[in-house]
Amino acid sequence: MSERGYKMSIALKFEGYHRPANVDQAVKILTKYGNNAQVIAGGTDILPRRPGGNNAGNGKHLVDIVHMGLDYIREEKNGIYIAAAATINSIGAFPLFSQTPYLALSEALACHSTRTIRNRATIGGNLCNASPCADLALPLLVLGARLIVAGPEGNRQIPIQDFYVGTNLCALDSNEMLLEICIPFCEEKTGTSFLKLGRQQTVIDMALVNVATFLTMEGQCCVTVRIALGSVGPVPFRAKKAESMLTGKRPDKKTIQLAAEAAAEASAPLDDIRATAAYRKKMAVILVRQALENSVRRYQA
Amino acid sequence: MKKIDIKLTVNGEQHEMAVAPGERLLDVLRERLGLTGTKEGCGEGECGACTINMNGQAVLSCLMLAVQADGATILTIEGLQKGADLHPLQEAFIGESAVQCGYCTPGMIMASDALIRNNPSPTQGMIRDALANNICRCTGYDRPVKAVLKAASQMKERKNG
Ligand SMILES: Cc1cc2nc3c(=O)[nH]c(=O)nc-3n(C[C@H](O)[C@H](O)[C@H](O)COP(=O)(O)OP(=O)(O)OC[C@H]3O[C@@H](n4cnc5c(N)ncnc54)[C@H](O)[C@@H]3O)c2cc1C
Ligand code: FES
Ligand code: FES
Repeated sequence: MSERGYKMSIALKFEGYHRPANVDQAVKILTKYGNNAQVIAGGTDILPRRPGGNNAGNGKHLVDIVHMGLDYIREEKNGIYIAAAATINSIGAFPLFSQTPYLALSEALACHSTRTIRNRATIGGNLCNASPCADLALPLLVLGARLIVAGPEGNRQIPIQDFYVGTNLCALDSNEMLLEICIPFCEEKTGTSFLKLGRQQTVIDMALVNVATFLTMEGQCCVTVRIALGSVGPVPFRAKKAESMLTGKRPDKKTIQLAAEAAAEASAPLDDIRATAAYRKKMAVILVRQALENSVRRYQA
Repeated sequence: MKKIDIKLTVNGEQHEMAVAPGERLLDVLRERLGLTGTKEGCGEGECGACTINMNGQAVLSCLMLAVQADGATILTIEGLQKGADLHPLQEAFIGESAVQCGYCTPGMIMASDALIRNNPSPTQGMIRDALANNICRCTGYDRPVKAVLKAASQMKERKNG
């Protein structure tokens, strides 16, 4: 191909590219090709170069959803609706999310990859890739987000805690796509926090441990407590037992510490090239504790 | 496999071509258009050597298919220079010795260019944030950051003066 007689380029092994104009068309194409098709949004999970140039493992027909107007963020009566193909940077610029109750979300958006990648990477891609490390899964878990999914029979809703089925596996059927994410409005007095531990060597990295917390109080005691952990199990998850240890209690140092230990106890991290399981578990305690402390401080501010 | 017709405006010139679904934008720029200023380092989004400006924003051309750029306006390092005059960022990178082997330089400059377009007076912190996706094995980063600060202030002076 090159006129200079050498060829560096790689052709990724996709067989078809489809650019539906609307959701109906997209679902029709997904239905037609079944497991042979995959949605592409920003492409930042699908396209990184792999040995042999075969990135088409999950479907040789690409269905590009970037040109369907699915990039809005709007407030409606019962919550904030973020379209699946909204980019991470565009969500980060939405003013409401810099207010205290939503800080867990804005912190996660700012920790996601780099400014350059965030110009392309989308929220839908982050969720549907179903990586245990996905940064946005955690704030959305504690904010109680609902996912609105389009399929041949119309739309259905999936609470985010039911969305993750396994590592890189989400609850979507092959003929379905994620349409939008609804975040219910928070009470004005809500304290949330997101923390991510990466490796020291580079800022461009998936988390070793990431956590988000959510807390409301009445008087001196916690009313609603939510704790989510990522990168320490096959899927991002809520630590329900740890949550219940704080509910109705004063969030004093000791109670927070015990809840943080219980949250880490619920994790099942793996040893891998980036960190040992033992280190991840130890750090999970510390991150949950710090995030809870942030939440209390933000609630009381 | 069906090829797809696309249109790209690259450095002010319009191009029409038929591409395979799996062709990366990086390869189209380098191999079809001969714009080899845009480099491939890692091919997986980590190094930033392939950074270009698409519709006013910095993006990684190794993490994009050419078909995804259909209709886009693209600027590469080759398009920054006006005639014989280097762009202030190019001048500043040379002036501040922010170029050693030079492999990262086109990507650094394109990321900086997008930053300055969106924010004519960036702080050091903003520059470091904008360049966080650009790995340099030679300069230690301080000189590129200085160069961007200098270019930004020069561009403002020229505009006001
Ligand atoms: C260098 C680098 C650093 C990164 N750092 C981080 C990080 O710090 N934190 C982090 O969380 N992630 C990180 N990522 C991963 C990636 O950028 C994110 O997960 C991103 O949000 C994915 O979005 P996308 O639009 O690019 O997804 P795509 O690559 O387009 O898609 C990802 C997956 O989701 C599916 N999909 C996308 N949209 C839909 C939809 N609407 N309906 C159904 N399925 C859909 C696709 O079929 C595919 O399986 C990084 C990636 C790179 C290359
Ligand atoms: S070649 Fe694109 S980021 Fe390294
Ligand atoms: S100058 Fe050599 S990598 Fe930056």
